[in-house]
Amino acid sequence: MNGTNGHIVDATRITRVFPMPAGPVTAVADVSLHVGRGDHIAIRGPSGCGKSTLLHMLGCVDTPTSGTLLFDGRDVAQLSDRQRSLLRLRSIGFVFQRFFLLPMLTAAENVELPQSEANVAKDERRRRTRELLEYVGLGARADHRPAELSGGEMQRVAIARALANRPGLLLADEPTGELDRSTGAQIAALLDRVNADGTALVIVTHDPSLAERSRRVLNMRDGRIDEDRTLP
Amino acid sequence: MNAMGFAWRSLVRQPARAVLGVLGVAAVGALLFDMLLLSHGLVISMRDLLERTGFDLRVTATDALPGSGPLIPDAVAATHAIAELPTVRSAVALRFADAIVDHAPRGVQATLQGVAGSAAHPWTILRGRDIGSGAEIVINENAAGRLHAAPGTRITLRASCSSAEQSLPPVTFTVAGIARFPFDTPNGTTLAASLDQVGEACGASDVSEADVIMVASTESAGPDAAVAEVAQHFPALRVLSNADAVNRFERGGFTYFRQISTVLTTVTLAFAVLLITVLLTVSINQRLGEIAALRALGFSRWRVVADVFCESVLIVGGGGLLSLPLGAALALALDRILKRIPGIPADVHFFVYQPSALQLHLLLLAATAVIAALYPIRVVARLPIAATLRDEVVG
Repeated sequence: MNGTNGHIVDATRITRVFPMPAGPVTAVADVSLHVGRGDHIAIRGPSGCGKSTLLHMLGCVDTPTSGTLLFDGRDVAQLSDRQRSLLRLRSIGFVFQRFFLLPMLTAAENVELPQSEANVAKDERRRRTRELLEYVGLGARADHRPAELSGGEMQRVAIARALANRPGLLLADEPTGELDRSTGAQIAALLDRVNADGTALVIVTHDPSLAERSRRVLNMRDGRIDEDRTLP
Repeated sequence: MNAMGFAWRSLVRQPARAVLGVLGVAAVGALLFDMLLLSHGLVISMRDLLERTGFDLRVTATDALPGSGPLIPDAVAATHAIAELPTVRSAVALRFADAIVDHAPRGVQATLQGVAGSAAHPWTILRGRDIGSGAEIVINENAAGRLHAAPGTRITLRASCSSAEQSLPPVTFTVAGIARFPFDTPNGTTLAASLDQVGEACGASDVSEADVIMVASTESAGPDAAVAEVAQHFPALRVLSNADAVNRFERGGFTYFRQISTVLTTVTLAFAVLLITVLLTVSINQRLGEIAALRALGFSRWRVVADVFCESVLIVGGGGLLSLPLGAALALALDRILKRIPGIPADVHFFVYQPSALQLHLLLLAATAVIAALYPIRVVARLPIAATLRDEVVG
């Protein structure tokens, strides 16, 4: 379900301040951003500019110090920890730079895990897992553990895992950061396909070639969006 | 995959850690189990031994233990009178003395028992037959071995019946049978004859004195009623039921077993808690990124807490199961060592299994699993997802 204005995420003047021993540090300052269904957004900027903090707030793993963040029309600040967990489980997918696959589980089990947490029936889980591994081109590697996969293959499994519960929004934090150029391009193409199939995508990246594949590129500096470009 | 399955896979992922944890808990659990068996073992064993003799009351002249206090005068008449009481089924008088049996080169030291009364004698005949009238004697297996004696063999002994040095004439007995005595020590040499024969061997003018009168109550009356009735008729004597004797035994000299057990139980449990807490905490600290990622993917706080708790349960459960056979084997070995203490009857055990000990063992292990998991659970429950993900990437 989207918000009343059709946006998945409505961030209005959100700020995130971290208390530090040397004094408070403002990681994100007064940012407003709306993510609609099917959007493809890249966030760029130098290290420490607040990209990941913004992504974490959009993904409801962190809450703004001030401002309003609505997800599907619900004020995230008003949700309990359990409600936020459920929201992430059912509506948001995460892809991390370091994959964070569970090494003791096979590729299929990694993809099945969020579905299991969402109480999806076993047969449906199996079917969905097969479908997703085929989707990311790893149907033949379902029974392989992460240690037996290449970096690109691990990121493909991570993308399949992020899509397991059919989220409306996929957030990726430097998804090609640990990959070589060629493998990174394959992951970028896969993310394009995910977006083309209807999932909104917000990517934090240093990689210009990945960012340029988006339809909208936000440049951040010192916690603020200093450029918002829509690409043709 | 439920929390238990997930915890299992997490343990299998680091087999060395899992094995270390399980073996550590098994060792600690075995000690814990043994301490619980020890805490009441001696008392329970002594109670069982008293009950196995077939008598449930002991009548003595004073509070002193039989054989170490004054004799009961006119014990044979008292025994017959007690046996006639409505609450009493049977009674037997026993006298204890030391003896040296003639046997080259220096003789064999023995404990001599004299018995009189209506009841079955407090020993079990293994070979031959029980004593009859006349100078007959039954001996235990140790005596038979040392004296090379069998039913029909004649032995000569000199009794020593009081603390004062005596020079008593030798007395000759015919071995009627080989018997097993309930309070025999592993290497003890025990002989038993009729009370009057022992009295004569002791050179006593009054051969009816005894150290103790052992009494069996009727089933309908029970020991408490019999104690009351015997005490009423013989106010000068001290009457104890088996339960009273066990209580005295428990209060008197063996509370330190329970104290030692309590101290060692506390120490072993503390070790178990520390071991599991350290293992789980180290494991979790290695997986903070994964846990934060799972939380970001929508796993609830309770789910990741349950994963950690189940890991603790699996380590403690596995170790706890192993601890039972390990503890039983250890108890047998320790029991053999402790039974070398002089004067301990062969049928008395220090480590005695009882269902309540097993229940307490399981309860304490369950508490260990919970307490050991508290700190790692706190770490996981309070894990800041965003900061952890950021730190993992920067790290």
